[in-house]
Amino acid sequence: MDKDKQPSVGQALLAAAMLLPGLAHAEAAPERGAISVKYLYYKEDQPGLDRVQVHAPSVSVMAPIAGEWSVSASATMDDVSGASPRYHTAVSGASRMDDLRKAGDVSVTRYLPHGTVSVGAAFSTEHDYRSRALSLQATFDSDDKNTTWALGLGGSDDAINPVNHIVQNEGRQTVSVLAGVTRIFTPVDIGQLTYTHSEGHGYYSDPYKLVDNRPRKRDQDTVLAQWNHRFVAADATSRLSYRYYRDSFGVSAHTLSGEWVQSLANGWTLTPNLRLYSQRAADFYFDPVYDSKTGAPFPPGYVFGGSAFTSADQRLSAFGAITAGLKVAKQIDRDWSVDLKLEHYEQRGAWRVFGAGSPGLAPMRANSLQIGFTRLW
Amino acid sequence: MVEGIYGVAFAAMGSRCEVRIAAADQDTARRLATYAIDEVRRIEHKYSRYLRDSVVSRINDSAGRYEVECDKETVALLAYADTLYTASEGRFDITSGVLRKAWDFRSGALPQPQALQDLLPLVGWQQVERDKAAVFLPRRGMELDFGGFGKEYAADRAAEALAEHGVAHAYVNLGGDMRFLGPRPDGRAWDIGIQDPRDMDATVASIPVSRGALATSGDYERFMEVDGQRYCHVLDPRSGMPVSHWRSVSVVAPLAITAGSCTTIAMLLEEDGLGFLDRSGMSYLAIDHQGHIFRRT
Repeated sequence: MDKDKQPSVGQALLAAAMLLPGLAHAEAAPERGAISVKYLYYKEDQPGLDRVQVHAPSVSVMAPIAGEWSVSASATMDDVSGASPRYHTAVSGASRMDDLRKAGDVSVTRYLPHGTVSVGAAFSTEHDYRSRALSLQATFDSDDKNTTWALGLGGSDDAINPVNHIVQNEGRQTVSVLAGVTRIFTPVDIGQLTYTHSEGHGYYSDPYKLVDNRPRKRDQDTVLAQWNHRFVAADATSRLSYRYYRDSFGVSAHTLSGEWVQSLANGWTLTPNLRLYSQRAADFYFDPVYDSKTGAPFPPGYVFGGSAFTSADQRLSAFGAITAGLKVAKQIDRDWSVDLKLEHYEQRGAWRVFGAGSPGLAPMRANSLQIGFTRLW
Repeated sequence: MVEGIYGVAFAAMGSRCEVRIAAADQDTARRLATYAIDEVRRIEHKYSRYLRDSVVSRINDSAGRYEVECDKETVALLAYADTLYTASEGRFDITSGVLRKAWDFRSGALPQPQALQDLLPLVGWQQVERDKAAVFLPRRGMELDFGGFGKEYAADRAAEALAEHGVAHAYVNLGGDMRFLGPRPDGRAWDIGIQDPRDMDATVASIPVSRGALATSGDYERFMEVDGQRYCHVLDPRSGMPVSHWRSVSVVAPLAITAGSCTTIAMLLEEDGLGFLDRSGMSYLAIDHQGHIFRRT
């Protein structure tokens, strides 16, 4: 048989696929581009024709479907075609799938020529806690796609029913706004600046702590600046960030952190990191000096049932802290990686950088060792 | 009516999936996307080999014992599998999934030669007995696996479900296998990038697509490296060993199932894959083991 007369394998596969139920019947309008499909089908789907004869001029058939392959990739792509794991990289399987399921049920993104608009909703419950949240975020790209601005608005509504019944049917509502800009300065430098403001009201006290009475309103502001630089020759990346935080409780904090990600041969990665933290205490934080009559844990002059704000929560005290860590990771194969992370954390009142720290607190030290196995999907 | 473009994400078939759709508003987009998502989930439940009560599990559980009656859709898919087998000179064989028992890509160790030898007799589509309404796997331990085209078939069916509801500007993306139902509302094509097979954060090429389908197979989907040699999950059913000639093959075709079948067959045919792609009549972009790019629009 003359080879040219044979229907091409591609057409044979296409013809076979057309026999599958429910395929290609919907695109009935011949003027539509899947004409290629349709056309082929239409032409040959006549009584008495053997399906093996289903073939059509191949190259022209494809023409209306797609344009030309461009080997220089643009930054404006809608999507990426690849074997699946692209969409599952570097996140361990199960939790990612859970996130996804949640997101898949509730988040919708609108794509615009120069940006996106996303609307999301989240819901979670624990035995003493129920949270609902809504968010709206928009991004805008510059013409050269090197700058992206982001604006976000979020709201949450939490219900709190502590098991000790110290309060019942308490709640907390928060509204937050976010504004940020990300810019690619050079192929190896990317910077990001984000500002977040949130206002909340409701129950902020810790229901499981005595003498914990916090204001029912809390405003928070955060500014985060990040800079990543890729050192191509060294096959390494530096990540630097500074974060400023303040809230209406009187807490303000500075965080400076740096990380060096060094790739080595055979799938090894070494990542040392250092974080410096300094915090001013909340206005109503009281030092561990107790009332001479009632004793601990009551602060001097504590009035039972009074309305004064008090908290002995060490997280609201004034202190400085240093975290130093080292992470060693090894990619075993495409599916699995193992990492070991050692971290030392030390917090002291005296280490506060701007002003004096809270007295009377024992330095807090923590060492952590974490071994992780990551399964890539 | 002014239409916006919305993406509705979901997880199915072990992949991250999305329906991107032009609609008047978000609720409409979500409602329409549900038709596609329901269809994907229907196919997943029916043909997943991981679900005990799926059609495929019933067929596999009956191997060597009795034949299993099949509905029309299953019979049609088996007929398609038969065409795949012929068109690929026996390389695309839906009974070869059983070789996974010897290949544990997480272990980082090659299979024992004997383990492969023991499994190879269970591979062989020509042994499968089927008629218009039933299928029989003659040996105990034989398995069918629709994984080689199930996701692409689902992408096509999901797209058809959208088309039945009048959707004219959308695409379905099931883990990188995509079926397009028309361009953006303003007539511009979708710009789709092709994954760089050696740098998961980069793309090597792009193509504008309005209709039809795009699928990619790659040696990076599941693999291990032993003594510097890459072993990927695409296995030659004759030897039970992974193929190695192509890093990645992308094909544009009218249907996702056709595009996906062509990418897999090209991978399986190794050096001969290029000739196959040329004869297929489809538009393709293939990257060989040295990183050379071959393409035809």
